[in-house]
This record gives sequence, structure tokens and C-alpha cells, in this order.
Amino acid sequence: MPKAVLVDLTKCIGCRSCMVACKQWNDLPAERQGFVNDWATPRDTTAETWTVVKYYIEDKGGRVVWRFVKRQCMHCVDPACVKACFAGALRKTPEGPVIQDPSRCIACLYCFNACPFQVPRYRTGGEGPVIMQKCRFCFDPGGIYDRVGQGQAPACVRACPGGALKFGEREALIKEAKERIAQNPGRYVNQVYGESEFGGTSWLYLSDVPFEELGFPSAARPAMLSLLTWTPLAAGLWLAAKEA
Amino acid sequence: MRKISRREFIKYAGLGVAALSLLGSVGRGGPVFSQGTVGALPKLRRAKETRSICAYCGCGCGLIVYSEDNRVVYVEGDPDHPINEGSMCPKGIALSDANTIVNWQHRRQLNPRRITKVLYRAPGSTCWEEKDWDWALKEIAKRIKATRDATFEEKDEKGVTVNRTQAIAHLGSASLDNEENYLIHKFLRSLGVINIDHHARL
Amino acid sequence: MTNHFIDYKNSDVVMVIGANPAENHPQAMKWILRGKAERGTKLIVVDPRFTKTAAHADIYAPIRPGTDIAFLLGIINYALEHNLYFHDYVVNYTNASFLVDPNFKFEDGLFSGATTKDGQFVYDPTTWQYQKDKDGKIKRDPTLQDPNCVFQVLKRFVSRYDIKTVCRVTGTPEDVYRQVCELYCSTGRPDKAGNIVYAMGITQHTYGSQNVRAVAILQLLLGNIGIAGGGINAQRGESNVQGSTDMAMLYHLLPGYLSCPDATRHPTLKDYLEKETPKTSFWSNTPKFLISQLKAWFGAKATPENEFCYQWLPKLDGKEHSHMAIFQSMAEGKIKGFFAWGQNPAVGGPAAEPTRKAMEKLDWLVVVDLFETETAAFWRRPGADPRKIKTEVFFLPAAFSYEKEGTVSNSGRWIQYRWKAVDPPGDAKSDLWIVDRLFKAVREEYRKGGRFPEPILNMVWDYDAPGSEEPDINKVALEINGYEVDTGKPLPGFAKLTNTGSTACGCWIYAGYWYPDPDLGVVAAKRRDRTDKTGLGLYPKWSFAWPANRRIVYNRCSCDPSGRPWDPARALVYWDGSKWVTFDVPDFGAKDLATGAEIPPEKSAQNPFIMVPEGVGRLFGAQYGPRAAALKDGPLPEHYEPIESPVRNLMSKQQNNPLAKIYQGEGAARGKPEKYPYILTTHRLVEHYQSGAVTRNSPWLTELMPEMFVGISPRLAAKLGIKPGDRVVVLTARGKVYGRASVLPTLQPLKVDGKEVEVVALPWHWGYQGMAPGDSANVVTALFGDPNTFIPEYKALLCDVRKA
Repeated sequence: MPKAVLVDLTKCIGCRSCMVACKQWNDLPAERQGFVNDWATPRDTTAETWTVVKYYIEDKGGRVVWRFVKRQCMHCVDPACVKACFAGALRKTPEGPVIQDPSRCIACLYCFNACPFQVPRYRTGGEGPVIMQKCRFCFDPGGIYDRVGQGQAPACVRACPGGALKFGEREALIKEAKERIAQNPGRYVNQVYGESEFGGTSWLYLSDVPFEELGFPSAARPAMLSLLTWTPLAAGLWLAAKEA
Repeated sequence: MRKISRREFIKYAGLGVAALSLLGSVGRGGPVFSQGTVGALPKLRRAKETRSICAYCGCGCGLIVYSEDNRVVYVEGDPDHPINEGSMCPKGIALSDANTIVNWQHRRQLNPRRITKVLYRAPGSTCWEEKDWDWALKEIAKRIKATRDATFEEKDEKGVTVNRTQAIAHLGSASLDNEENYLIHKFLRSLGVINIDHHARL
Repeated sequence: MTNHFIDYKNSDVVMVIGANPAENHPQAMKWILRGKAERGTKLIVVDPRFTKTAAHADIYAPIRPGTDIAFLLGIINYALEHNLYFHDYVVNYTNASFLVDPNFKFEDGLFSGATTKDGQFVYDPTTWQYQKDKDGKIKRDPTLQDPNCVFQVLKRFVSRYDIKTVCRVTGTPEDVYRQVCELYCSTGRPDKAGNIVYAMGITQHTYGSQNVRAVAILQLLLGNIGIAGGGINAQRGESNVQGSTDMAMLYHLLPGYLSCPDATRHPTLKDYLEKETPKTSFWSNTPKFLISQLKAWFGAKATPENEFCYQWLPKLDGKEHSHMAIFQSMAEGKIKGFFAWGQNPAVGGPAAEPTRKAMEKLDWLVVVDLFETETAAFWRRPGADPRKIKTEVFFLPAAFSYEKEGTVSNSGRWIQYRWKAVDPPGDAKSDLWIVDRLFKAVREEYRKGGRFPEPILNMVWDYDAPGSEEPDINKVALEINGYEVDTGKPLPGFAKLTNTGSTACGCWIYAGYWYPDPDLGVVAAKRRDRTDKTGLGLYPKWSFAWPANRRIVYNRCSCDPSGRPWDPARALVYWDGSKWVTFDVPDFGAKDLATGAEIPPEKSAQNPFIMVPEGVGRLFGAQYGPRAAALKDGPLPEHYEPIESPVRNLMSKQQNNPLAKIYQGEGAARGKPEKYPYILTTHRLVEHYQSGAVTRNSPWLTELMPEMFVGISPRLAAKLGIKPGDRVVVLTARGKVYGRASVLPTLQPLKVDGKEVEVVALPWHWGYQGMAPGDSANVVTALFGDPNTFIPEYKALLCDVRKA
């Protein structure tokens, strides 16, 4: 049964322990950062930062709304990145996670381009080749970073103090999400984001603010849009890395 | 629940020999040390688990420190702990950073910013010098004695016995353990120090 | 905290005022959210800033910094006017019915007794007392009608705080404020619990103690003290600030909240015991506590014949020696040697620059810490010339929390054990090792002679563990816990302490924490049993909560005088007709200690607050009893303006607390609103801890929160032409700090008496050391203090802001 995480944005307190927990489990170093107006540093995921919490702060006619939106790979049910990766470095697992094999990555950036959420990031600094990195849902079959394969929740879920993250079977979590909507009239917008968006995702979201306002893409954008544009760049990066 | 050896039990029970004999036969229950739920995972199979309490705010969350070869390799919330129930805030989960940090090779190394030597800065000097403990303890003791003896008041102007020095001050710490604070308090009062304060005032 | 974190889930209404749990105590926020999910807890957040906590509030009430008393008295007035207070609780468990001296007055912002002493304003509290009958008993009027009864005095006093007036002072919109009053006062019923959560937003004012009093009065009126889901819950900012306070890292105390002897009041042990021991209340046991402490410290040398070596303790000189006073003395050259032991005053203290300069006057400084803090590096701070600084500096590298073992006490008074995971790196040592070796080194020096060596040579100091480098933590803990002098056996609790010298106990309130639990086979502080019979989250066998393992203090108040719980669903203790059924350790006489006989509820109903001499909660803080004298600045909280304020006091012509402590020097310079038009407040962030001494050396946390910033409202930014991320400078009468502008709608101007007032907010975690240096907010804070506690007024100052 595929696994999933239900993110209830009404319960997130914006502490960002999920971000540190991710680095703690996956041995990811800190990157140099600078000031960000809304305090949500770092702004975006990188090859060393696989999850971020974005802040949404809006003055709605004198009433301030502040929401905290955890973002990471959505682990699509039918992932476009996997289809785009001709190197075979990405695969969709029956357990749900979409995981990468960095040793096969040729840094062509096709996955980035294909991803409706623009998740994949490339490790360019340090030694070794340029490779794609992203959240792997703490699923690392046969590797040392495995949690989900061993029956444990991902590190971020375990760390969350607000109870905003829940790990479980995808079908059961969709059912639970719908129950939460039904049992709390007026609390949520009537949508379980990820149930069907982009063919469905393993990370599911509940919110009281419309998802478009929180930066979630509302419709599938044409994938492979700029394949041609990207190919030379990717090839260049690949060569540069090899030479280094 | 994980079974714990007698040696471990004595360690966790923290009883001196005298107190142990007082217990007679050890009771029915025993401490709860369910194995950290992640302790059996590949990453931590070699690691030692130690229960601790967070060093930051006053919530008192429980955490499990995983260590290998005398270095911290991972920290996670203690799932047995009734306050945090296994979760942690970002500061708490980053506690490992005080001991080891993850470098760009994705490996743990001692936090290079930790001071691991006694340091001394002479009057007017522009740099620190590394020293050893014996030297430092003796030199500090001499400074304490010199200052105390030069400023000690046995009696005040009304002839009341006061036995104090006003020339030494101490700002203590809300980050130290109770037992440490208690001994520091005894130490300071034995010297006659009355300038004592700490974070609680701020 | 009267209660504890888990108990937040039992509240019907939580009012967070002067705290920000989502940011500073995330696990506390978790329990608030648990209550919201499970029982529909309503959350009120009162804060000048729209915080992460406010993001989850049912009602967010903006408030001008420094106007909490007006805000709280307005709710009290609302409760009294609308009869929403908990009548039976108030009559039985507070001093509402006590008659006050008819000469007690309050006029023009001042209480009766205003006078001057040595050129200083002081109060003579003679009239702040109860009326007594000829037998010396306090006169009472249980009908609460007598015009001099506390209830009527309070009612008259707060009647000036109507909604309109309060909102003119606080800047809170009237409709929002009315909702707060209605919702919070809904807890004034037997089956409702209201919880007030506060932190430094309440205390860091020149009337911080009175702010707390206002909270207490409101909670007493609504019957919210001593019950599950209620209480006054001060969230403490450090892992062991509770414990370090219990252990008296404070000039005026000995461990266990015993007064430090004072030369004028306590020349002899007899004087001490006479002056410090009230006839009633649990403090009547003071002789047992102090004499057992002296036995713990001086062992066989302490005998009844030599006042148990009482004279070996230093005595205070009648002056205060708090943080700000210490640095004042240092600046004057009176302090020659200084220990900064796990504290970083160069960033954390008010008026940081004078603090750093004061250390240049020292002969020697000992810093004990993990990293090279700003305090350790003060001699090479930006702008300083090390060659001109003659202070010798010793840096002693310490162990981190999991590199040693010992106990820490959380805000809920749980004393929990931390086991050791790894050795400290290199030559770093535990603080226990450091103090042990340092004491021994000093004692060695005094073996050669020196002034008054007796306390040093004779202090009980025997913590060696054979075969170990580390002192034996068990020996230290046993001494704190207390033991029988003859047998060395640990004491089960403070009830066993004597005043004869037969018991030794380092800190009476910790008695029992190191006593073996007969069922679990471990000392109480190491217990990890998750049994929770009531489902209220008391966890009576998880660690040990002082005093006596009590989880919710004043719990007698959870039942009516006849012992029936006000709310059976939240029962902590109750009388079943013949005996007490107790889920928590009773905070009252439930059983006769000698005979074991049950004490019927009528008796304990007389004194449910066993620590005050009246035995009941104080709506009026009377001058009554040696340990529970009135606050210096009055028996009731009255609104005054912060020392620096943009407006005149609307409540009286008395602008400031007449007793506010203003120190000397550049750090105490006062700014005028003409030059510094904006309110300045300080705050913390979840990613950093206090002065950042540890967290700014944590790569992950520095990554999350790398740079000092200045919070300003979008409206102020527009007015000053400041864009998000611009470098700006904040100026006060003390100095200036730079930072990036954070322009967010979480800050909004407040309408105060028709005038728009802007609030500028500074996080205070940065300094010139660490991975990500930045300016310290405390460079611009001031040496203004509360007259009772001497806590600095960090929360409400004046500033100007400019594009840098």
C-alpha cells in the first residue's frame, strides 16, 4: 500500500523543526544564508535543503493571516520526473516515494523541467559530479537513510510538535482528510490538495486558505516545455562537472 | 520495552552503593526505556542511546542522543516523554550541533567552534594563549584569594559580623544542572560573595 | 508555573499575554492546540505584534507595549460589573472579605503612605493592612458589602478601568477588547477553566511585578487557581532557570527561597529565625529549613552552641546586588573579579555597551562556556583596543548538556534527569568538575593562611568518586535532597526536617527528589513511569515535581469548602465523606502527620493557600507577615506609563511608577518622544536561544535565522521610504543598532487616545561573535528596573528609525 503524509496547514506553528529534522537524519550541511523579509530563510529547497516552510503573511483588510506551508517533493502518484529521466536515475516505488539514484544522474535537468512543483535541485559545489537531490521521503531501500522502508515515519513527521504532519497509507489519509473537512464545517477549504492534482501526490494538504493563494499550482502546466532550451545547458553542466 | 542490564540499571537508577542497599530488592516496575523507535534503523544500528532533556527553553522535553565513538551522531525526541511525545522544536532537534556538525562531505565532525582548551588572555594582550587546567585552577584560586583578602569585611560599620567581600561577582547560569548550581552557590557563599545573579533577573 | 505544560490541554480558554509559545515554547503551543482539537479550547492572544501564536488565536488583541495592567484591570472591572466572578471561590479562598484599614487611600495615582527617605520616593505601607479585632484576628465581612472590605476596595479601584478608557490607553480596538472580556470572563464558573500564560512580556517592565499581580487577581476572581486547566503559567526561557532560581543563583536568597541573611535585620541566627518565621503558613517551618541547610554545609562543625555556623554565611548590606547593580558597581571599579559562568551579559544584559565597558575595569574575569562568547571576547570587540584593556581573562571550556549528567527543572517544576551520552571534547569539563576543582584549589590556598578561612576550610565538600575524574553526582544530589545526619539515609520529604541539627538538607523544596521510589526502584527524579490515571496529564510518577511531587499547586482550591470538586471532570483531590481521594499530592493538610488521621475538608478550607500567612489568595496585597510583605509599589496594580512613553498617562497625573529603579550612567539615558517617536520592543525567535551563545554556533540554526533585523510596519516603512531588506538604523538615547528592515503586516500602528503609535521590534539574539555576527539589540535597551525584582524594562522603550 503506498504511503503518504497528510499536512494539515491549520495546525502548523511555523517552527520549522521539520527542516532541521530532515538535515539531521539525512546528514545535510547548512548553507550560507542571508536575510529574508518574512524570516522564512532559506527561501527554497536546494540539493542540501530538501524541505522548506514558506510563510504566507497577508493583511486581509485589517485581519492578518499568517500560514506556514511546508514544501518538499510531493512524490506524485504518476511522476513526470520519472518519465523525463532518460538516465533511469529516478523511480517511483510501490511504497509511494519517488527516489533517486544519484550515481545514475547525468544532471540533464529534465526532471526539474518536468516537475510541476519544480522540486529537483542539483548539487554543484564540492567534489564529485553534479547530481540531482531532493526529498526521498526517508525511503532508502538498502541504504543507511531508510526509515519508511523500516516502518518508521519520515524524520520531519516525527519531529513536528504541532501535529501538522501525519504519516500513513495514502487511501486512509485521503479518507481522514475528508472526514476532517466534514467534521469541522468552515474550518477548511473543501479540497484535499494532492488527491487528484497532477494525477495525485503522496503528500496531501488540508488548508483553511485557498491553495492558489499559498503558491500551490492549480493546474498542470505543459511538461517538457523547454526541453530544447535546457538540453545544452544540462550538457554543459555535466561536462563542467566531469572536468572538475 | 527494552531489557536493561543490571549494570545499566545501576547507572540509570543513579544510586550510590549505600542507597542501593537501602532499596533491598528492586521493585516491580522499573524505568521505562522503550528502545528509541528509530534505534534499530540501519543508520543507528551501532549507536548508543542516551536519554536526555533539552538544553534550551523551559518546556523540559525529552530527547534521545545517539552516539558513536564518543561523538553525537543523531538526536531525536524521546517518544516516551509525556511532554513532547517524541516531537521536537528546531532548536531541540539541532542540539547535536553543539557537539558535532555535518560537513560538506555529509559527515559528522566535531563542531570546530567549540573551545576545547583552557584559554588565557594576559593584561593588554591581543590574543589568547592555550593553558592547562592545573595552571588555570591555581592561578584563578590565587586571584580569588588576593581579591577576597584585600576586600574582606569581617564586620560592618555597626559592628555586625558580615563576613563578606563585595569585590567578587558571579553571574550564574540557567543552563547548568541543579547539582552544579547548588555547588557553585556553596562555593560562592563560602568565599563571602554577595554579588550573585543570573538569567532569572533578565 | 502553578500548573504544567500538559495541563494546557485541560483549559477552556487560554489567554496568552506577554508570551509567544509558538515561537519560544513550541511544545507549550502543542498542548494549546491539543486542547483546541480535543475540547474546543479558545485561544486569546494579547500582543503588540501579530505573532506565530496569534496566527492560531480565536481572538487576537493588539496592545501597546507596557499597558498590560490597564488591559487586565479592565477585564477585572468587567467581571465585577457583570457579576461574572466566581462568588463562592472568591468568598472562601481569597481575602475579598477581609477589611482593610479605613485610612488606606488611592489618590492621583498614588497610594496612601507616599513619603521620601534619603531623597527617594518610598511608601510607608502602614495603611496597607487589614483591620483586626481585639484578639488580633483579621476582621471579615463575608457578605462583601462593607465599603472597606477588599472586594469593595478592589471594585472601586478598578472601576476607573472601563472599556473605553482601557482602549484609549492600550490601543486595543474596543470591539476586540469587549470580546476578550466576554470570553475570558466566561471561565468564572465552577465547570470552566481559564489559563493565563505569560513570559517576559509581562515581567520586563518597571512595573513587572504589578503586572503579575494583575494576572493573579484576575485568576483568583475567576476561580482559576488550583484547578486543572487553570493557573498562572509563567513560561520560563531556559532549560533550568527554574532550578537555578531554586538553587538561588540570586544575591538575596539561599537555596529553597530562604532569605540571604542581612546585616541589619539578621545579625544573629535568633534574629533571622524570629524575623523570617511567620506564625502561620508553611513558612512557619523556616527554622527546620535553614538549620538543615547549615548542617548540610558545615556538617559536624554546625552545632546549636555556635548558631550552626550561621555567622560563616556572608550578610547583605541592605543594598540590592542584582544584574544591573553589579555592572554599576563594576563600572565604578568596586568589583575586581568576575565570573561569567554560562551567561553572556555582553549580549543578554540591558545597555550592552556600558556592560562591556564595565568589564574593562576588572582585574580578572573567568568565563566558563562552550564557545567564545561576546563576554569572553569583550576585550577584542569592535571598537576596543585590547592593548589598553588590562583585565586578565580565563576561559574555561565547559561540557554541553549531554556531555555530563545531572538534573534540570522545567517550568512546571519537574526535576528531570539527564544521562551522559558522550565525553566533552578535548579538555572541556563538566561544570560540576570545574566548581569542584576550583573550590579545592581555593581551599588549598587558604590552607596556607588568609583572611577568615573558616567557611572555606570547613565547608562540607566531599564529592569524590573513587576511580572517577568526575565528582559523584549522587553525593551532591543526596545532600540537596537531605539525609539523616546519623545514618546518612535520604529523607523522603521535607516533612522529616528538624531544627535540631539531626537532619541535613541543601534545598528543602527538593527534599524527596533523590529518594528511591519503592515501586520503580529508582530515585524520584529518574522516574519514567507513564501512568496517568485521571487522563489529565498529571503523570505523578514521571520524574519529581517540587514541592513534594505536587503537579498543580494550591489544589485544595479545586474543591468547594466541603471537599466536592467544583468540576468533577477535572478533579484533582476530593473528600469522599470520610477521606481524601487524591490524584495529585494535596497542597493542604489532608492527613495528620503524626497520627495519619484524615483531616476533614472544613479545616483546610480555611487556608487553601498554605504559603501565605492569611491562608487565602490575595486580591489585595496587604502588608502582612514577614515573608509576604506587600510589593514596594503598592497593594494593587495601577497603570503607569513606561519610563519612555509616547503619551501622557491617562489614568492619573503620575506618569511613571514612582518607585521605578533608574540606574546611573549612559545606559540610563532617557529619550523623549519628540526625538524618539516610536515604541521599541524586543523579542525572541524560535531558531535562537537567548544571547545566541550556542545557537549562533549551530550551522543549522544560523542557516534558518542568519541575520539581525528590525521589524517595522508597512505603514511606517512607507512613511520613511524604507523597503524590505534595506539596511536601517535604530536609535535610542543609549545608542544605535543596525539591521535589515523586515516590513510585515504583523506589525501595525496602534491608535492610542486618538493618536497613531508605531511599534518597532528587535530580536535580541545577535552579537559580534559566532557564525553570523550582528548588532545586539541590547545596545539600545536601558537601565530602568522594576522596584521589586530589578528586572530591566526591555519591552517598552522609545526609538527612532532611519534608513542607514
